[in-house]
Amino acid sequence: MEDSDLTSSSNPPSNDRLAVQFNDAEIIIGLEVHVQLDTISKLFCGCSTQFGEAANSQTCVVCTGMPGALPVINQRALELSIRTGIALNCSIARSTKWDRKNYFYPDLPKGYQISQFDQPICGPGHLDIEVPETPGKLRQIRIERAHLEEDAGKSIHDESSLGQDSKIDLNRTGTPLLEIVTQPDIRTAAEAKAFLSELKLILNYIDVSDCNMQQGNLRCDANVNLHIPLGDHQIATPIVEIKNLNSFRSVERSITYEAQRQFEAWQEHGLTITDAPKQTRGWNDHAQATTLQREKEDSADYRYFPDPDLIAVTIKESQIKQIQKQLVQLPTELRKTLVEQYKLNPEDAAAIVSQGRGVVDYFSEVADGCQDSRIANNWIGQEVLRQLKESNQTIQQYPLSPKQFTELLNLVIDGTLDQTRGKEVLNEMVEHSISAQQAIEQLGIKPVDKNELVSLCEKLIDENQEVVEQIRAGNGKAIGMLIGKARKINPNANPGAIKALLSKMISQ
Amino acid sequence: MTLSALNADVIVDQLNAGELKATDCVQYFLDRIQTHDAEINAFVSISQTALEQAEAIDQRRKAGQTVGCLAGLPIAIKDGICVSGQPTTAGSKMLEKFTPPYDATIVERLKSADAIIIGKTNMDEFAMGSSTENSFFGPTHNPWATDRVPGGSSGGSAACVASRLAPVAIGSDTGGSIRQPASFCGITGLKPTYGSVSRYGLIAFASSLDQIGPMTRTAKESALLMSVIAGFDPRDSTSSKAQITDCLSGLETPLNGIRIGVCRNQFNDGLDQEVETKINDATSVFKLLGAEIKEIELPHSQYAVAAYYVIAPCEASSNLARYDGVRYTFRAPGNDLEEMYRNTRGQGFGNEVKQRIMLGTYALSSGYYEAYYLKASKVRRMIKQDYDDAFQKVDLILGPTTPTPAFKLGEHAEDPLAMYLADVYTVSANLAGIPAISVPVGQSKNGLPIGLQLQGRAFEENTLLRAAHQFQNVTLWHDTSPSQPWRTQT
Amino acid sequence: MAGTPEQTTVNQVAKLARIHLNEQQIESSAEKLAQILGYIGQLDEVELPEDVTPFFGAIESVNAIRDDQLQASVPRKEILDNAPDSDGEFYLVPPVF
Ligand SMILES: [Mg+2]
Ligand SMILES: [Zn+2]
Repeated sequence: MEDSDLTSSSNPPSNDRLAVQFNDAEIIIGLEVHVQLDTISKLFCGCSTQFGEAANSQTCVVCTGMPGALPVINQRALELSIRTGIALNCSIARSTKWDRKNYFYPDLPKGYQISQFDQPICGPGHLDIEVPETPGKLRQIRIERAHLEEDAGKSIHDESSLGQDSKIDLNRTGTPLLEIVTQPDIRTAAEAKAFLSELKLILNYIDVSDCNMQQGNLRCDANVNLHIPLGDHQIATPIVEIKNLNSFRSVERSITYEAQRQFEAWQEHGLTITDAPKQTRGWNDHAQATTLQREKEDSADYRYFPDPDLIAVTIKESQIKQIQKQLVQLPTELRKTLVEQYKLNPEDAAAIVSQGRGVVDYFSEVADGCQDSRIANNWIGQEVLRQLKESNQTIQQYPLSPKQFTELLNLVIDGTLDQTRGKEVLNEMVEHSISAQQAIEQLGIKPVDKNELVSLCEKLIDENQEVVEQIRAGNGKAIGMLIGKARKINPNANPGAIKALLSKMISQ
Repeated sequence: MTLSALNADVIVDQLNAGELKATDCVQYFLDRIQTHDAEINAFVSISQTALEQAEAIDQRRKAGQTVGCLAGLPIAIKDGICVSGQPTTAGSKMLEKFTPPYDATIVERLKSADAIIIGKTNMDEFAMGSSTENSFFGPTHNPWATDRVPGGSSGGSAACVASRLAPVAIGSDTGGSIRQPASFCGITGLKPTYGSVSRYGLIAFASSLDQIGPMTRTAKESALLMSVIAGFDPRDSTSSKAQITDCLSGLETPLNGIRIGVCRNQFNDGLDQEVETKINDATSVFKLLGAEIKEIELPHSQYAVAAYYVIAPCEASSNLARYDGVRYTFRAPGNDLEEMYRNTRGQGFGNEVKQRIMLGTYALSSGYYEAYYLKASKVRRMIKQDYDDAFQKVDLILGPTTPTPAFKLGEHAEDPLAMYLADVYTVSANLAGIPAISVPVGQSKNGLPIGLQLQGRAFEENTLLRAAHQFQNVTLWHDTSPSQPWRTQT
Repeated sequence: MAGTPEQTTVNQVAKLARIHLNEQQIESSAEKLAQILGYIGQLDEVELPEDVTPFFGAIESVNAIRDDQLQASVPRKEILDNAPDSDGEFYLVPPVF
């Protein structure tokens, strides 16, 4: 059993422990999120941060820690950190410095990581998330700090267990990371996921990071333990840090698993936070379980001290103001705007906002142009997003400008086009990148003359007397059948208009 | 006069006047190295391309093209400074086969001034030492007495200038590594203000203390080299934008009215009687030159060595973590990664380096940071404050460079502390970041050079060099050569 | 190998610094470490003002920054040439465990 090291000093299972239910335990979660900042060059040298290039093709004397080489900080990395800090309601340091975190690993070329210890660029802040079980209800997760640091390289270990050499690629070494650390305010796996989704959305909105998780541009460690009521007091289980979670799903599942595991372990041996040191575990996606990571006993002794190769950075009030001024509206504000100004319901507003700033901008322009934000929401939320998904495009690549789209919607709103015909026109517009008018012409859609409509209805009433009887007898739905027939005869006939006319004629 | 007797500024003048060809000049010094270096061991490697470069400069001069201000002047560089494509070892087995793919900024500057790098000089391993005995490539011998050390860590550079194997050299100084060997070898050595000469390409020992500087026979030559190597470098974050004042133009300004401080509590038990006498004699010379001598206090200077031996090893323990057998040449095999690490670092580093890494690792480790690194850094503040106060009253501070003249090879081998105390007068300037210079001011009865140290305000190298030059205008110690086979004929 | 307290410390520090020392080196290192720590101990004599701020060196000056601009990387061959072991693409190191 992998946890044998913990059981050696354990207490025998006791009845009061066994009497506690898992649901009585409170899960305490804090996250450490590493975000790759969107710079073109590395944090301390001019090498490219481009992902996926040939191994060791993007390194230089600085990022390989060549003897004598020295680091110089990237201005944009500072700016993006400040921007993030402002978006997360953090206090921004007026003076920030660099420290060395010393440890040995082959993908850490200098034998230390340049990071920030006691003067992080961003101090305390907070992020509000929607409580997953109760939509619309917000919960505040406090941010402890966010600091700037360099990434390590990539080690490729031999998986064959034949003891082959490991391979080291230093392309990623020196890529700027912002490490965002929360207070242990998160209480469920779903909340952890909600926090990360909201954080990712914000970082996207403010152009700080693409947060591409497949490329490792957003990575997360989760600190998890349980508070368990026991008699008249409460105990805490030993804290476990789950390392290197690189998908929302693994965050959610690993926390869920870990909480259960800790509960069972506690029931078995009763060890609490005071009995055992913090443990590091990894998430095994294949086994869907956390596993103990082998660690060197001295790994925690990082011997931090100020990096004598770098000097302090002072940040002026005016610089913060400037960055603040350039900051776009954040998701929370946008959701509020969509609800209050555009009268969307909260779910619809959230759905639009979750698509990113481009979709929100598109929506507002269309909604402003057609004066009917609900129709704009319906059409964008259903048609546009579906088309984007099918064609794997972003809103920026969508062939119709907001103006063109507005033209179409206005024709639907004024009744020139019914919903069905409208969608046909939309498809035609997208397919050939043409205006609504051009599409209408190509599809041969013509407005139907009032007299033509009257004679069409008269014809239908004559030929479908049983249906007419049913309607007269109070079966309102039967009118749909007549509308269908009308559309077969003349596809341009507006169903609304037919319905109104038929109802009037039948009731007379 | 033979070339070995000429100062660098004269050599440059002759080269410019067409009286001397760069190829002849370079060949002359290569021959001297060939003849004498076996006995001195000042060089770790000799440039294979120096003659080619000299040839190119002669061609350019002949064709009437412009050349740099040091065109054709041979110069030796301490082997802890990177020269692209040339072996750069820092005196360590760890870097025995290391060839940097880049030039240090000062090398780039010397090259663009068309100076010719003639070779790389011996040093204590990673600049840790005061005798150049801690070199993987064997000790350097003092040209004045080959059974004695040349000082260190820039002992190779000092010995090569003293024996005229090169007209001038570059060293680096972390706690006295330019000034102490300059003193032991009877030459002039300047440690510039921290941040005035770029550290880019200097293999780090202790980053907050390291500084590159000139090692020459005269202050005027040092001023000439400073005019090339000093200045802001965007590749070194600690490089200062505050430019040092032009060192060359003010050299001839007399010292009338300059205030020179003397700190009497440094003239204590540890100070050799002969050294004290020579320093006093030199003080009288400065008086004659018009200086006003004033007593000053540096109350915390007695703690400088202790603070230094916390701070330097702490920084070194981190700076030398990169030598782990993965990227730079030396690796001792091991069955797994950890074993490879331990074997590589156990075998690749010499004893003194290992000892200092151990000390620094210990002092930074959990629970000790406050007691050692932080406390030492606070004492460092007090030392700096002392200087700030003193420089309110005086323009320069005068004293001995070292407590004794050069000691014998092996004399301090078993007593690291005695060796560390060789730096007792020099480390304070590194801790405070101020410039300091050592100039020869006499000889002991048994013919060993004695050096005097002047310390100045940050970025006032010009005052230091001016004072040293004025002193050298009226004395001959800088012109005195060792009475050995490599003695220069004048 | 129990050794003196100093030797135990030296063992731990050597581990942390990834330096292999043999028995004799440990003994001599412990001796030298004790000697130098004894000397450094005089720092405790210094009367420091309450509000003294540590001086870490150049870190007191501010703002050396570079623009976010690409500079050519060093050709891989030149970088890997100094490595004791590589396959021309990657650095190679013995397995972690
Ligand atoms: Mg981190
Ligand atoms: Zn690089």
